[in-house]
Order: sequence, then C-alpha cells, then structure tokens
Amino acid sequence: MTDEIRLQLDDHMYERLAALTGGAVAVCYQCGTCTASCPWGLVREDYLPVRTIIHQAQLGVPGWQDNLWLCTTCGQCEALCPRGVKIIDIFRGLRELAWESNHVEKGLPSLLWSVYWSENPWSQPPSQRAAWAKGLDLPVFDATQHEILLYVGCTSSYDQRAQKIARALVSTLNAAGVKYGYLGNEEPCCGESVLSVGNKEYFKEIAGKTAAVFKEKGVTDLVVISPHCYDVFKNHYPMAENYLKPKHYTQYLADLISEGRLKFEVALKEKVTFQDPCYLGRHNGEYEAPRQILSAIPGIELVEMETNRSEGLCCGGGGGRMWLETVNAERFSNLRVKQAEKTGAGTLATACPFCTVCLEDSAKNLPPGKMRVKDIAEIAAQALKKPRE
Amino acid sequence: MPPSRYRENEESKAVWVYLEQEEGTLENVSLEVLSKGRELADVMKWKLVGLLPGSGVHALAKEAITRGADEIWVMDHPLLTTFTIEGHGAVVYDAVMLGKPSIFLLGATHNGRDLAGRLAVRFRTGLNADCTNLHMDEKDALLVSEVSGFGGGVVAMIEMQNHRPQMATVRPGVFALSEPDSARRGKVIDVPVNLKPEQIKTRILERVRSGVVDLTRVPVLVVGGRGVNGDFETLKKLAEILGGDVGATRPPVDAGFIERERQIGQTGVVSSPKMALCCGLSGAFHLLVGIDKADVVVSINSDPEAPIFEFSDYYIVGDVSQYLPVLIQTLESQQEISHA
Amino acid sequence: MPEFHMVVCVKVVPRSDEIRVDRETRLLDRRHARLELNPPDMSALEMALNTRDRYGGKLDILSMGPLSFEPLLRVGLAMGCDHIVLLSDRAFGGADTLATTYTLAKGIEKMGGADLIFCGEESADGATGQVPAGLAEWLNVSQLTLLTELSLDLDKQTATGRRSLKGGYEILETPLPCVVSVKNASQEPRFINFSRKAWAYETERVTVWNAVDLNADPESIGLTGSPTTVSELARVPVRERKRIKLEGEAMAKAEQLAVIIRDSL
Repeated sequence: MTDEIRLQLDDHMYERLAALTGGAVAVCYQCGTCTASCPWGLVREDYLPVRTIIHQAQLGVPGWQDNLWLCTTCGQCEALCPRGVKIIDIFRGLRELAWESNHVEKGLPSLLWSVYWSENPWSQPPSQRAAWAKGLDLPVFDATQHEILLYVGCTSSYDQRAQKIARALVSTLNAAGVKYGYLGNEEPCCGESVLSVGNKEYFKEIAGKTAAVFKEKGVTDLVVISPHCYDVFKNHYPMAENYLKPKHYTQYLADLISEGRLKFEVALKEKVTFQDPCYLGRHNGEYEAPRQILSAIPGIELVEMETNRSEGLCCGGGGGRMWLETVNAERFSNLRVKQAEKTGAGTLATACPFCTVCLEDSAKNLPPGKMRVKDIAEIAAQALKKPRE
Repeated sequence: MPPSRYRENEESKAVWVYLEQEEGTLENVSLEVLSKGRELADVMKWKLVGLLPGSGVHALAKEAITRGADEIWVMDHPLLTTFTIEGHGAVVYDAVMLGKPSIFLLGATHNGRDLAGRLAVRFRTGLNADCTNLHMDEKDALLVSEVSGFGGGVVAMIEMQNHRPQMATVRPGVFALSEPDSARRGKVIDVPVNLKPEQIKTRILERVRSGVVDLTRVPVLVVGGRGVNGDFETLKKLAEILGGDVGATRPPVDAGFIERERQIGQTGVVSSPKMALCCGLSGAFHLLVGIDKADVVVSINSDPEAPIFEFSDYYIVGDVSQYLPVLIQTLESQQEISHA
Repeated sequence: MPEFHMVVCVKVVPRSDEIRVDRETRLLDRRHARLELNPPDMSALEMALNTRDRYGGKLDILSMGPLSFEPLLRVGLAMGCDHIVLLSDRAFGGADTLATTYTLAKGIEKMGGADLIFCGEESADGATGQVPAGLAEWLNVSQLTLLTELSLDLDKQTATGRRSLKGGYEILETPLPCVVSVKNASQEPRFINFSRKAWAYETERVTVWNAVDLNADPESIGLTGSPTTVSELARVPVRERKRIKLEGEAMAKAEQLAVIIRDSL
C-alpha cells in the first residue's frame, strides 16, 4: 500500500466563509504583501502567514486554524494590499467558523461569558461600572438638555489606569462648557471585544440591544473614549447611518478648539510623540485630530516616530489580544516604545485605552522616568488652566 | 418532617470531632476543630470525643488527647489506610449511631466535605457547611453555626431543633489551635471494625501529594512584581512561614524568574486568598483582577504613587529587599514563641 | 441497551454583588439582583458537554427553582445540552441541603435514573458544597468529587476521575452510575452556539415537574423538609480597602506588619 496524501477540499467551509466575508477571499491574487507587512514578522521568526491563511481559505483546506488568534486586526496589511482585500473580514470570518466548531483559543470563551453575564469584558461587577466617576457629580444623559452623550466604554470604566483618561476628559469637557451627560451604571457594552474575536452572531445581538438603549434615551451624538468603541458604533452598528453620530473624543476636542470653545492656557514644555491607534487611524482615517490637539497646546513639540500614520505600528492590543497572553519577546509595544525613545521624546502620547495600557507596560522596561505614556485627554487636561498661585 | 435516625431526646451529651489523618499525621484543621470543640464542650460541661479511623493510627490518639479530647474512638483497619468515601463513611456512620452524640463536627477539607455531605443524608439530619464560627446556645443546648454565602457577602446563623447529630464542617484556619497539654489524660477506645473489601467501590489508582501548584485557594498568596528583582527565594520563604504560596505579576514571569503557571491576573490565575501580600508590584489593573477577592491586601512598594496602595488594606512605602528579611525574622520569632 | 444518560445539575443564582439583606425582615432581598447560572456549575456543564462529545449519549439539565429561571437555563441548551427538567413548586422553596438533595434525587428518579450526574463544586449563594455528596447518598450511587478530569469505560461501566487534593491529586475509579462534582474553574465553559439558539428557545425543550409529579413526600421538601433554621442574617458590608499606611522606623513597620499578618490569618 502506498502512502497517499489526500487533500480534503472543504467546499462547505469555503462557501460559509465566502458568505461570511462577502466574498473577500476571492479577490486575493496571493502576492504576499500582507505577510510581508504584518508586524508579527518583526517579533516572530515564524511570522503570521497571512497569505497562506488566505490561500487555505480560498481552497477550503485545513491549516488556517493554527495562527488564527494572533491577528491584532491592526489593518497594516489591508492598508498596503494592492487588491483591496478585506483581510480583517477574512480573519473575523474564519474566527466565526472556529466559534461554530468550538475550536477557539483558551481564555476567549471566558471573555464572551464576561460580556454575557457582566456586560463588560473585564469580569467586573456591572454595579461598579460608574465607580470611576465617584465624586465628579456627572449628570445622567438627558437628550433635551445635553449636546452629547459621553460614552465611557468598559475599559475606561473599570481599568484604574484608563479611568484616569475618563476623568481627564471630563475636566476638559467641563472647561469647554460642554453640556453632556453619561449613562452611569446603565451604560451598555458596545460589543467590540466580541466582534474582534469573531463572534459576529453574538455581536449582532449586543449591537441590537445597545442601539435600542441609545434610541430609547434619545442619543444621537455621542463622544467615545476608545477608538474601538468608536469603530463599532460608526461601522458595525445596524442603524449607524440612521441616527448615531459617533465621534472619537479627539475629533470632538479638535472641533471645540476650532470653534474657540476650548483653549489651552498652560504651556507644557514637553517633547511628545504620538502613537496612532489602529482603530482611529487605519480603520477610520483619522490621523489629524489628535495632532491638532497637541499642536494647539502651547509648549508642546510634536515629533514623529519612524513609522506613523497609515504605517504606524500597532500596540498589540487589538483583535482580542488584550485578553490573550503575549510573551514579552513578541510584544509590538516593546518595539513601539523603542521607536518613541529614538525620537528623543519624553512623552509617548496616544488616544486609546488599549494602547495606553500596552505601551505603559512596555515603557516599564526602560529606565524609570524615561518615557511617560499619556493619553491625549490627560495632556489636554494638564494644559487647561494656569494653576492658581 | 421525617425524623433523623436518632433524635434530640436520644442524644448523648457530647461533642464529637472527626479526626482526619494522612500518612500518620493529623490534619491541622482536625486539631483546630478539636480546640473549638473543647470550648463548646466546656460551656455545656459535656464530653469531647475524637473519632479516628485509619490504619495504625493509635499514636495519633495521644496527640488528640493533648489537644483537649476526653475520649478517642479508634477504628483501626487496613481498609481504612487511605480515605475512601465508602470505607470511612461506613465506619463513621456506625460509630455515630453507637454513640449518638448531640454534635458532630468535621474539618471542611476535601474528604471532610465528602464525608459530611453523605453522612448527613444517611442520618437524615441537617448540615452547616464551611462554618466560619460556632457557639452554643446554652439555654436550649443548641449549636449555633455561622456560615457565609454570596462570596462572603452575607452571613447567617443557623441552628437545628430536633434532628441529630447537629453537624457542621469548619473551614480550615478559622479556629486557633489550643496549646497542647501533655499532662492531659483521656481514654482510648478501640471500636471493632466490620468492613469487607467489596464494600469499597472506589479504587485509588494513583496518588500524588505534591508538586501541583494551585493558587486559586491558598490561604496566603505572596505576589512578587518587578520590584522583587527576581528574588523569589525570599518570597517563597515568607510564603512557607505563612502556610501560603507564591505568585507573580507579568514582568518577573516574562523575565523567567518564575513559572508562568504562577502568574496572577487577567491572563493568569484568579485567586481568593485570606491575604494577598503584594511585594514590589505597582498594581496594574490586569493584576488586580487576580487578587480582587482577597480578604486582606497588604503591600510593600518603594514608589509612593503606586496604584496598589489604593487597593491595599495596609501598606508600607519602602524597598521590598529591606523589609522582607526583617518581616521573615519577626514572623519566625513569633512562631518560636508560640511553639515554646 | 438504553441510551447512556447524563444529567447536569444547574442552579440559577443572583449575582453576589447585587443582593441585599432587608434591614427589618432580615431576609435576602434578591429583587434587584440580576440572575446568572451559578459560576461553578459552568465548569460542570463544560465537563458534561465534553464527556458527551467523547462518549455520546443524552445530556439533560436538572434544576430547581421558579419558572422565571427557565430562560437562563436555556443557555445550557444553547451550549449543547439536550433537554431541561425544572423542578418548580412553591412547596420546594426554603429548602436546606437535606431537602434540596432529596428533591433533586426524586427528579432524577422520575427521569428514569441517570448513569452519570454532574454537579458544580458548590453554589455561589449557599456555598455549602454538600449537594453532590448528599445527592449520591439519596441515589445510593458512588461519587467522585472535585474532579478536574474525567474519562469513562463504557464496557466496564466505570468512571475514572482526577480528584484534586491539597497540593496534589488522586486518580480514582468507581463503578457507574456515579455523581461527579467538578472542581470550580477547572473547565473553561464553551460559549453559546448561536446556531442552536432558536432551537433552545422552543417550548418543548423544557419539562416542568411539581411536587406531585415527583411523588415527593410533602414532609421532606422545601422549608418543611429542612431541619435547619436560619436565626439571623446579615449583609457583610461591601469590602472597601482600608488604605492604612504604616509609619515609623523600618523595624517598627515590619513588626507592625507581622502583627497585622498574624491577626488576619
């Protein structure tokens, strides 16, 4: 008997994937730009074989499961793909198939259960969601009185580091005299973590519920802290076009500055470099608003890292990676902090809670005090008013 | 409701304690329960009896007497060498039916819980599990058990009028050990054991008593962070003194100072110790998730701004390498005093 | 040979962080607490589903409680279980461990018995951890508790499990039928399979039995059948960290800390 290698072509899988991704795989002509541009190649010898995975998906052959959960959905490959293949859709589609067959990375079912039972991905009690705002006396959103809803998001509600971002933004909004409210403990989860790990069916359910809450409360204009929440509200919510007008807070603050409502009076003598969050930049094309804010603050010198804007290196926290362990040698954020260090900047600014958390962890590898990681909301709050003598 | 196998009017005025042993050593919690049992018995002027099943366990009877028992009922049989629910269940049931004690207490160990849950149904009596305190209602001669539920969020006092024995299991570490009194005298009673091999349905194929790290339920968790500078030996020593184990934050795990299975937090172990002792860690959110459920959090860190202090019950601003040796020394000398 | 029948006992509990104790009546106020499946039972569900995946058979959920628990239990169906039996009767209310295990045992009896019964290690609300052993006693079957792994030999009709011990484990083998308790957090429960969701919400997936259906002794169920009574109930205040900074000379601080450690343990 001769050993015969038979390749099983899984037509069903191919068809399912084609349906799930709107035919995204068919367009790829296998040039490999994706694999070459993927940041995993910077940290892993056996990189993330994006092209091969797409090919396996095109043919309907197994193998695509192996590295499926590495992708941070940073979109670097999509930005460079000559065929405009929606590669992230392919990864999300494959992940959806993995959910259907119960072959997912350890830790991810727990992430979804956390959202299911506690309405946040951090396994925190829903009754403590508004604890970050204790003492701030924030009004509950009222559509008849408020210009915007401040949508805080799960990470800024619960993560002590990210809570500071929310509090800084509150003081900036207050200083600009913005009429706004929040939803306190009633704030629903946007579901981005669920979408990012590819459970689209569950995401649809969350999006439906959350959209209904917004509708019931009369929310149209909402300002969000995390680019991840912003992205799903803008691009993945069912009724986004109808009535939701989400803005990332950097966009909103930039508007306030150009309208003359927000002024920075304190000069901050800082050399700052800026990390473009993937979901603000590559996913939504917003590169200028955060830089406008930094430029409006007297004393700040803005310098760019060797990769920036559409080629800015991801922090490593997207695509569900915030809930999976990445060994130290493979953290993008370590490289990013080194890039920041090379600019001579003492402050690494960003505008995303995930970036802040990842970069701050990596900045601890540098000598103490060498690199401060700050969210733009925090820098803005520092520049608000001259301290009283 | 249907009566228990024997009722309060048939009870003997005594407190019984199940003495669990493993390879010739009594479980600590059994001695703790014995100490508490002595207190309860003294309040009522009752007898305290220890129930000791095993194989070749006579020597342990003396130790139990020094801890306050008036009588030890020894059930010695080769089939009782290691704990099986069928073997130990059968002989303990028979002994209790013979002695009909008012109160029957067990340590809430893995085996103690198995035994108690099964026997309570066999006696058709009530059982208060994992109690955090016990006392006597002297007037009615009833045992009052304090139990907690909802993750410690609610406490309840529970008693039982007519069913016997009044059973309770006690969480390890809740009660203090009494000082052993070597002059104490008690009676050792050999109880005949009628056990046939075919009664034991459960076979033990393998038994490993060490090497498995389980940080989820250690009483004391000593967590080391970056500020420990890789010196986990000192932390291990401290953990050993306190009867706990060592965990770590991400940086020392990354640096290879300690195994990844000891990483605490969002992508590691979520622990619920009585005390978390945080050494040289700043307190990132993904770490805090792992010690959220600790009853008490104590921390030492040189950075006065460390977020961990917000999350601590007690804290010291200072260098871990300076404080730990002193702390270990102090704890060790305390130990010597209490053992003297 | 009849189909291999497995039952997983699942409890619906209010979230611990949201229950209150009424100051006057001293009763638990669960009205404002959202409900969830008892977290330790999620591990039991996963081990049960995993066992069914490996050995086949039918896997039913058994629960006790008001009809309002039904939608939550259907989560288990969406995860992969076949059917729900909900024991629901006002007369079951207020049950302690003895009455609870009696009622569950009657439920299993009425189901025609089971070859393998899975339970979580304990419930988040009562936290007695005594149901698995008590249930095994009523059913007069063997028990394997605190398991992290389980395998079956269907020819020999035995179950082999890895039971956790302090600092170690033991491998035990016992004849079927058997009650298994699953060590808390030892299994990561699979998430809801959305393709099962519509099916899971069909009416006929749930069977509800009351005390009469079970032919249960009215004296042995609920509050009546519970020998223990709760004399006092109190809510322990939500834990606020004390944030006490120890001051003084290094030596004094270390000694202070040693005292605190000893007092807390």
